[in-house]
Amino acid sequence: MGAIGATASAWLASPAMFLARTAPASRVAVGMCHEYGREVLETLGSMFDQLGGLEGLVRGKTVAIKLNLTGDATDRLGYLPAEITHWVHPQVIGATVHLLGKAGAQRIRLLESAMATSEPLEEFMLQANWEPRDFLSAAPQVEFENTNYLGYGKDYSRFWVPGGGLMFKGYDLNHSYEDCDVFVSLAKLKEHVTAGVTLSMKNCFGITPCTIYGDGSPEDEPSLVPRGGRGPFHEMNRLPSKSAPPVVNANAPKDPGYSVPRVVADLVAARPVHLAIIDGIHSMAGGEGPWCERVRHVQPGLLVAGTNCVATDAVAMALMGFDPMADRGTAPFETCDSTLRLAEQLGVGTRDLNRIEVLGAPIDKACFKFRQA
Amino acid sequence: MKWPCGPIEIARRNKSGSIQAGFKEILEAWGRPSALELLEGTPINCLIVDWAYGGPEDSAQQQALKPLLEAGRRLGISIVGKIALKEGEGAAVAAARAAGLSAVMLENTSGRSFDLPAILQFPRDKIAWETASTVFSSRENVWPGLGLETMKGDTAIAGPTGIPWVNSNAWFSLLAGVLAPGKNLWLDFDPPDTSTALHPASYALAIADSRAYGSQWIVSLDDKLRAALSRGDSQAKGAWDEMCEAIAFFESHKDWDAFKSQGILAVVSDFRGENAYMSGEVLNLLNRRQVQFRIIERSRLLSAPNQGLKAILWLDKEAPGAEQHSQLLAFARQGGLVIAAAYWGPREAKPTKKDPSLHYQLYNVGKGQIAVAEQGFEDPYQVAVDTHLLVSRRNDVVRLYNPETTNCHCSGEFISPHHKTRLIQVLNYSSEPADSVTVWVNGQVESARLWRPGIKDARTLQGVAASPGTDFGLPPISVYCALEFEGTNL
Repeated sequence: MGAIGATASAWLASPAMFLARTAPASRVAVGMCHEYGREVLETLGSMFDQLGGLEGLVRGKTVAIKLNLTGDATDRLGYLPAEITHWVHPQVIGATVHLLGKAGAQRIRLLESAMATSEPLEEFMLQANWEPRDFLSAAPQVEFENTNYLGYGKDYSRFWVPGGGLMFKGYDLNHSYEDCDVFVSLAKLKEHVTAGVTLSMKNCFGITPCTIYGDGSPEDEPSLVPRGGRGPFHEMNRLPSKSAPPVVNANAPKDPGYSVPRVVADLVAARPVHLAIIDGIHSMAGGEGPWCERVRHVQPGLLVAGTNCVATDAVAMALMGFDPMADRGTAPFETCDSTLRLAEQLGVGTRDLNRIEVLGAPIDKACFKFRQA
Repeated sequence: MKWPCGPIEIARRNKSGSIQAGFKEILEAWGRPSALELLEGTPINCLIVDWAYGGPEDSAQQQALKPLLEAGRRLGISIVGKIALKEGEGAAVAAARAAGLSAVMLENTSGRSFDLPAILQFPRDKIAWETASTVFSSRENVWPGLGLETMKGDTAIAGPTGIPWVNSNAWFSLLAGVLAPGKNLWLDFDPPDTSTALHPASYALAIADSRAYGSQWIVSLDDKLRAALSRGDSQAKGAWDEMCEAIAFFESHKDWDAFKSQGILAVVSDFRGENAYMSGEVLNLLNRRQVQFRIIERSRLLSAPNQGLKAILWLDKEAPGAEQHSQLLAFARQGGLVIAAAYWGPREAKPTKKDPSLHYQLYNVGKGQIAVAEQGFEDPYQVAVDTHLLVSRRNDVVRLYNPETTNCHCSGEFISPHHKTRLIQVLNYSSEPADSVTVWVNGQVESARLWRPGIKDARTLQGVAASPGTDFGLPPISVYCALEFEGTNL
């Protein structure tokens, strides 16, 4: 087992002791960008400048970027390519990689746990008709890894959740999430049927390998290849392989609206996100993928970025027309707990817009109401 | 089309206890000339009737069929007599000839020849490809469609991934086209025994799943449909019409039969004996992944054209012979990829490893590589998956988006040295229409002709640039459609 990845020793108190007002506040940049093209690079560049520049964060560092490429590579909403609806767009990835490289990142690793497969991430992208070579040329030393299994690692890396965890005490992940200095969550601006919204935090749900946490993971040890999806995190109908840290409360409600937000909050507490970027130029409303009912293509024309994932998601929620202080029973959390509130309670960041400095386009001018789209 | 009727069929069903009340009359009715009215205006021009099965009913059958044969002759319908005898076929064939049958279908010729055209029929795993008649037939095929059952007893028969499991004879038809070139394979299989009437699309699919891949299904109706047709049921008539439309559609596109399978991967095996299972399953599973491939029989590797090939999958345990060895090495040295279960390349080449998910050693040979499976070839599913990844999706000829229960076959022909016609046939294996399917092709194509059974003229479908290829958004697919287009650099 690898070394402890998170700064666990810094977190000695229980989650309940972390109050919203103590959670870190930060800046969040909002950029308006109506199409995927050259303006993506320009807009992102300005946004990173507004955040204080990337150099201090990434110069000489290994940067790992968790992409949001949810579902099968052949899934489409109607005839629209995945990147226009539910996948982060390659233009946004390429621009991010380029700007990170320009800021001096030594090594940039593109990561995703490709759906139910251990195949190379490049092949997964090719299946969606992407050209992974484009990313290789966007900066020096760009790499790919499918993190849905052991991958290039010799062992899984263990990440303990500070304070003991809401669902699990810790998580075993692909080595890539430990073997990096800077962790970036590059997400899509979407609603989510189970978790209300899927933004930079929910994107991290996909850092868990299905060899351990999947529908077909063996009881004792991880499987060699992933089988199925992350159903057990939703239904809590089976536990991860025994080799992984145990569940906190075996009697927790078997309600996806309870478990999924907690797993996500655990993950962003255990594996902190240093830079959150959300692609909302084109997206979909009504759910996280074409498999959801009543989903539709939308074009909010937005990019959001911040150095705190809770704050970034809070601003993104506001841009979607939702109140980031909302919780279970209120849109978009009609049937689930708020991941933002849970992560805030774990001390990851604040969701209180009064404590967040919004740079670039003001929320009221840039707001795109998903429920009215 | 199978035309079960008369004393033999009645006796067979009595013996098995499978005859339903009232069905005896239907079997008798279908033996009368008036039954042929069903075929009027349809493209069905050949019927297969029982002629001899070694029971006491043989002579009664042959007598009873005389009026039907006479009527068939008048209508220009060929009638083939099926002879299911272990010995003494000679007399049955002579009787068939005397009765004016067009041909006989039989399993065992013992090497004898007859003075009536014979259609040899084989179990699928015992086909004598070389000696098969110009028209030959296989039994033990599958009814095309979704394999909805996931368990049979204690044995899981579902696919190893979430991809819907599809039953198809496609791979076998493609194989027959290579192992018996110039001959026609007739697939013999019957509708499944279901408690409810089969969906009309099932029959059209059985036709499309054979014709799109170069064979023909011997149309076989289930009892419920036959009974319903006999009583003039309008739904049954609709199913019959849809089936006939599908046959007519493929008859009007016979030129497509000459098109060659496209693909940059060649699958090489002798496809016989101990290699038959692995090679057959790999073909089946590659096809299910929409990997487009060419089949090369091992002994014909030297003469097979390798223009446009980028990879060769050498499936058999046997190492290539000396000349084949040289040919494969030359292919690799020029930049090709050879995938094999064991290494037989140059000794000086040192293995390297690729992605950790691929359990292969890669040997650099000249400009190309030989990929050797670390554990040999054990699981055909894994061989198909690995082959697709080793060859790389960058080399895909065609892809489907929102494929769900659909699959496709890509074929084509050169119009001139650099100009090609390409045909992409898309089949839906579900009785529910397939929605929002996009076909991506690896070429820049402005538009394509969209063909569908039941619609005489093609519709022009505009392509949408999806570099380095083109997307075509298909309308809902009931059973089948085809995209046909021309271009250079395809």
